[in-house]
Amino acid sequence: MVFVMNIVKIMTKYWKVFLLQGIGYTLLLSIIAVAGGAFFGSLMALAKRSRLKILKFIINAIVAVVRGTPVLLQLYIGVFVFPLIIPKLSSLPYIYSVSIVLIINSSAYVSEIIRSGIEAVDIGQMEAARSLGLTQKTAMLSIVLPQAIKNILPALGNEFIMVVKETSLASTFFVGELMTAYLKVKGNTYLTMECLFIVGVLYFALTYILSKILKAWEGRMKARA
Amino acid sequence: MPEVMLDIKNIYKNFGDLHVLKGVSTTVEKGEVVVIIGVSGSGKSTLLRCMNLLEEPTYGEVWMEGKLMTPVDPYLHFDVLRTSKTYKGLVAGGLSDEEAIHKIKDEDLLKEKHPKTEGPEYAALMKKIYGDYHIDINLGRQKMGMVFQNFNLFNNKTVKENITLAPVKIGKQRLKDAKKRGETVTKTAVDIEKEANEKAMKLLERIGLQDKADAYPSTLSGGQRQRVAIIRALAMEPDVMLFDEPTSALDPEMVGEVLDLIRDLVKSGMTSVIVTHEMGFAKEVADRVIFMHDGVIAEEGTPEEVFNNPKNPRCKDFLSKVLY
Repeated sequence: MVFVMNIVKIMTKYWKVFLLQGIGYTLLLSIIAVAGGAFFGSLMALAKRSRLKILKFIINAIVAVVRGTPVLLQLYIGVFVFPLIIPKLSSLPYIYSVSIVLIINSSAYVSEIIRSGIEAVDIGQMEAARSLGLTQKTAMLSIVLPQAIKNILPALGNEFIMVVKETSLASTFFVGELMTAYLKVKGNTYLTMECLFIVGVLYFALTYILSKILKAWEGRMKARA
Repeated sequence: MPEVMLDIKNIYKNFGDLHVLKGVSTTVEKGEVVVIIGVSGSGKSTLLRCMNLLEEPTYGEVWMEGKLMTPVDPYLHFDVLRTSKTYKGLVAGGLSDEEAIHKIKDEDLLKEKHPKTEGPEYAALMKKIYGDYHIDINLGRQKMGMVFQNFNLFNNKTVKENITLAPVKIGKQRLKDAKKRGETVTKTAVDIEKEANEKAMKLLERIGLQDKADAYPSTLSGGQRQRVAIIRALAMEPDVMLFDEPTSALDPEMVGEVLDLIRDLVKSGMTSVIVTHEMGFAKEVADRVIFMHDGVIAEEGTPEEVFNNPKNPRCKDFLSKVLY
């Protein structure tokens, strides 16, 4: 009973920290990471299919390193190393460096998702398009990619949900997302369990709603093709 | 003299260590129907796919209507060979012209094929031949329709879109290029789409599938899909049609409708190259039959010659197994 009462108390006083700042920053970071990841991930996936061996090697190396090391470690490295490379970052809040790390991380995963999605399309589709005299680019854009997207979307949705959860690691640098909100409120109220519970429910609600939206979207894409 | 459409010169195709084609040369004349037969793995499909460069030949040249589609193969041009440093070295060493060319060919002395190592004269001539005769692969392919064993209709497009996609895309590209060159164009992009749609409907009517125009390929039977695939190729108004085992993936009761359409097509004078296992059909439509064995043309002739009186023992053996 006390537990519930405490939660109500916390929420009446700190709802802005959780709902506006916390969820706001979590969503902002996730969207930046996934949008950037989708953009750079697509470029990386295309680069991987190019004939330039050096380009392929670099991309493969990035993907291997990103997938082979913890995100937390990548965040640390990013936050401390990026300002050395780009001096302007040192005067800006950590969230900029954190965003860059999350984009790189997400790009690596998305590029793998897109690559496998493209490879899952029957090679005969490309051959048929080329045999009609269409260029590689046209064949890719009008025939292969639209079919690949159907393979890609579900996995991309999963990646989005993973990223939402991974942003919690950014709380290490106090950037203001949900987990930071937890740290702040806990620091003020000393009510650890209650704060954890609130944040847990919010994360779950966020990912649950997201998964439902993505599922509906997938369904629509499937119905159209 | 009959007009040569497709000229295949000394094609070799290696997949790594696997040598699938070992020097195949043939020509296809305008209006001719060439049927390629042979056991699985004899290289007949690879040969067909080399004709429109879906497989790039390792050596050799493919000429379509007097235009070169592959890179220049120096071994096929004596004048090029004679400009090479290797040749000059051999002649200076006391060999006759003929001996030197033989030696270069037999021992594959131009293996590097790098223009620079054979001297500027050689590089210049290679470049000149390329410049004079080479056309963009896509332009060559637009004149060759290809029909695949597995139909390969575009799954994300309706039947009509499958047929109109290439004519519309390529038509619009040509329009853009013409405008860029400053030519006056009478057609608009809308006209191109309209024409393509009308043509698609006419072609669909021809095969009696006009009511399937807006259906997706997945809802069609195998025979219907293959017939759509054939008219999709026809929509580009090709000069040659290549058929890669067009009935092999079909249920037996659907083979007939596809063969009927192909028969109609070749009877109307369409130049065709057909890889098939349907011997009865081959006998009926072919002007010339090619029997492939182990990456080379083992026997070649009219259907009567090849089917009734084969000379090559392999061909005899093959026919005794497939004919009853």
